[in-house]
Amino acid sequence: MISPSNEHPDYKDSVQKPSRFFILLAGFSFAVPTLLLYLYSYQTQVFEICGIEIRKIENQEETIDEIFSEFEPSNKSLATNTQLSKKIDDTLTRTNNTVLAFSDTTNQLTTRAFQNYEISDTTKHRVMIIGDSECGGLCFPLNDYCIENGHKLVLSFVWNSATIFNFAHSDTITRVIQKYKPSYVFLVLGLNELYAKDLKRRKQAADLLAKKMNGIPYAWIGPANYMEDFGINKVFESAADSGSYFLTDGLQLPRGSDGRHPSNQGYRIWMDSIASWMHLSSKYKIALKRPVKRNYTFKSQIMTLHAAKFRGY
Amino acid sequence: MLLNSVDIDMQNPFWLNIFKVETLKEWFAYSTTEPWFFTEFSFLAVFGIFLMIYSLLAKANTWRKIYIILFSIFFYYKSSGPFLGLFVLMIVSDYLFALAIHNKQGLTKKILLWLSLSYSLSFLLYFKYANFFIQNFNQLLDTSFTEHDLFLPIGISFYTFQSISYLVDVYKKEIPPTKNIIDYAFYMTFFPHLVAGPIVRAKDFLPQIVYPQIINASLYKESILRIIIGLLKKLFIADYLAKYVDIIHQTPSGFSGGENLLSMYAYSFQIYFDFSGYSDIAIGIALLLGYRLKENFENPYTATNITEFWRKWHISLSNWLRDYVYIPLGGNRKGVFNTYLFLLVTMLVGGFWHGADWRFVFWGFAHGLALIFHKVWKQFFPHATKKWYAQAFSVLLTFHFVGFCWIFFRASSFNSAFTSIQQILFNTQWQDFIGFWYSRPEICYVLLIAFFILFIPVKIKELIFSKIQLLPTITWILWVMIALQIIIQFKDEVVQPFIYFQF
Repeated sequence: MISPSNEHPDYKDSVQKPSRFFILLAGFSFAVPTLLLYLYSYQTQVFEICGIEIRKIENQEETIDEIFSEFEPSNKSLATNTQLSKKIDDTLTRTNNTVLAFSDTTNQLTTRAFQNYEISDTTKHRVMIIGDSECGGLCFPLNDYCIENGHKLVLSFVWNSATIFNFAHSDTITRVIQKYKPSYVFLVLGLNELYAKDLKRRKQAADLLAKKMNGIPYAWIGPANYMEDFGINKVFESAADSGSYFLTDGLQLPRGSDGRHPSNQGYRIWMDSIASWMHLSSKYKIALKRPVKRNYTFKSQIMTLHAAKFRGY
Repeated sequence: MLLNSVDIDMQNPFWLNIFKVETLKEWFAYSTTEPWFFTEFSFLAVFGIFLMIYSLLAKANTWRKIYIILFSIFFYYKSSGPFLGLFVLMIVSDYLFALAIHNKQGLTKKILLWLSLSYSLSFLLYFKYANFFIQNFNQLLDTSFTEHDLFLPIGISFYTFQSISYLVDVYKKEIPPTKNIIDYAFYMTFFPHLVAGPIVRAKDFLPQIVYPQIINASLYKESILRIIIGLLKKLFIADYLAKYVDIIHQTPSGFSGGENLLSMYAYSFQIYFDFSGYSDIAIGIALLLGYRLKENFENPYTATNITEFWRKWHISLSNWLRDYVYIPLGGNRKGVFNTYLFLLVTMLVGGFWHGADWRFVFWGFAHGLALIFHKVWKQFFPHATKKWYAQAFSVLLTFHFVGFCWIFFRASSFNSAFTSIQQILFNTQWQDFIGFWYSRPEICYVLLIAFFILFIPVKIKELIFSKIQLLPTITWILWVMIALQIIIQFKDEVVQPFIYFQF
């Protein structure tokens, strides 16, 4: 780094002399701005300049905590899972044929037999499944369930590589809902944001997406984690209606060759688990009795987008 | 509305939080998992107050040294807690060993040197490499020795190398041993270089302790500018790139060849901006205190060959390895074959120094081979062409070789590294890059900015810096304030630890 020109008035000889004043000035140069910024960060007041919020010094750990503290259902979900585990165990005492993979509160895999649960709601639904690449795998076992239970799978909307932002910040979802008029929606997303730590932004987007469902009953299916996430599951769970979020994390699903997506068998096990959860504890229930036959011909329309080419907003 | 304030909470005045007992306890607690970084705003605030008091002591050399030592010890304690005792023990023993070495002659002197070196190295070997040796021993001989639950004290690799350089220099009579333990403690604990370098040599630094400087206006501005630039490098570029690199290296097989290739570029930029950012902050802080640390980087990615790269990359380490490993082994004095062999051994030591893992050894080995190859090449083609396209090709080739080696440096395992390379070689398509542009625009922008900063001519950079330094001195508080707010505004929510902290 070169020294500035001596021609400038600021660089007269007297100023260039070493002086303790400059150390003091340096002290002020760091202490005053940082202390002011801290004072601003400690208060609840938020300033905006030209509509842009002036951010505060934040500790990421606290940010996550804040989001989690806002999200009391986190504990509820554990409670729900506990109840669910109990229900499953109760059911097991009566039946023991079909395979259900579901994680209990301690995240241990519980492989359970499960069958013959009663289907109270026999309404035939127009089902739509929307999501990222995992939706493209899950739609096939869902197709089997729909055919066996008399529902119509009207659209499988697969938006590869998409994140919550693509779904929330575009009008794509609203448009397909308007066009296909589903009476029940499966939302499957999150695989592309397991690494995400900007949870505040994603929470806002997730809330927006939940609003876009506009009263249509839905099941929000969490991503099949291939790595530990940084809280995206909790963010989605907090955004979804109480009892409508299916926490996939903890399920041990066979994976495909890329190590990330479930294999065909994995998708089938996943769908079986969702169906069981749907019957036992989901808020919006539809009939999803386990199909006797598998691999029905897929007649639903599949719409495929790629976030790399179409971001949506 | 230009300025809009909302949500004023009059019930809970903000300043009350600062004086809570919990807040104060937090200030004086240490955390080995969350070291006190230069990038922490709490550090900058405390450092500012520290400087104000320092300005009162600056003319009393002994007091200023004691004051800096105490602050350095607190700085180290914040990240290492009880391991501070180990560090102090090493300082005292080095000081005594150096005096003893200086006073003895012949065989006794040599024995004392080896004893002192073994003693200094024993800490590093135990904490950093014990488990590595146990693992390999178990695998090799099918034994089952239990691994130790070890925490690597922060900065141990750096201060051990400093300790070695001091002891060897005293042995060779290049410098006299310090008579005053305060001087030696100052050299070792000086907080700007304590935890992640640059590796400071006693012969460069000790004279500055005896005749300390006080800054003037231009040094004040240069220091502040260096610190701000360092923060920007780290928080704007390195941390954003780290996010992308982390995703890819989690499961490289799940991403296309193009994405793996871009992660190689991203990591090459990340590690440079991370470490050179740290070095900039360290140099800036030291300068404010009146001490000049040597430059650690000189545009390394513009090197036209691997030898030049190592003259420009992590200069303090390269020089250390040259002076304390390569030359003592024999350097180029024992024939061509031995020269190559010593070069390879030196780079293997360099690789192993970075971490107790075969990946680092391989990384060092690859660089060693490349250095040998370049030496052989120069034998056959001693006059390199100066034509621009040849230079550009050489820069690209060197950069890609270095980037390729970084894959092993960053990957979580050899398998992961090979998968990434396999993806790059066999699964790369043009569409990957178009997709990348659309799906990760922020990473594209950061990559482009990083590329621009790296390859912009030095003269233009210097011109820009000199223009900035013309801003009136008294206004610099305001500029710092604006710069810090811009950093808060745009930095990633998660500040990554400096990469070299782990070494």
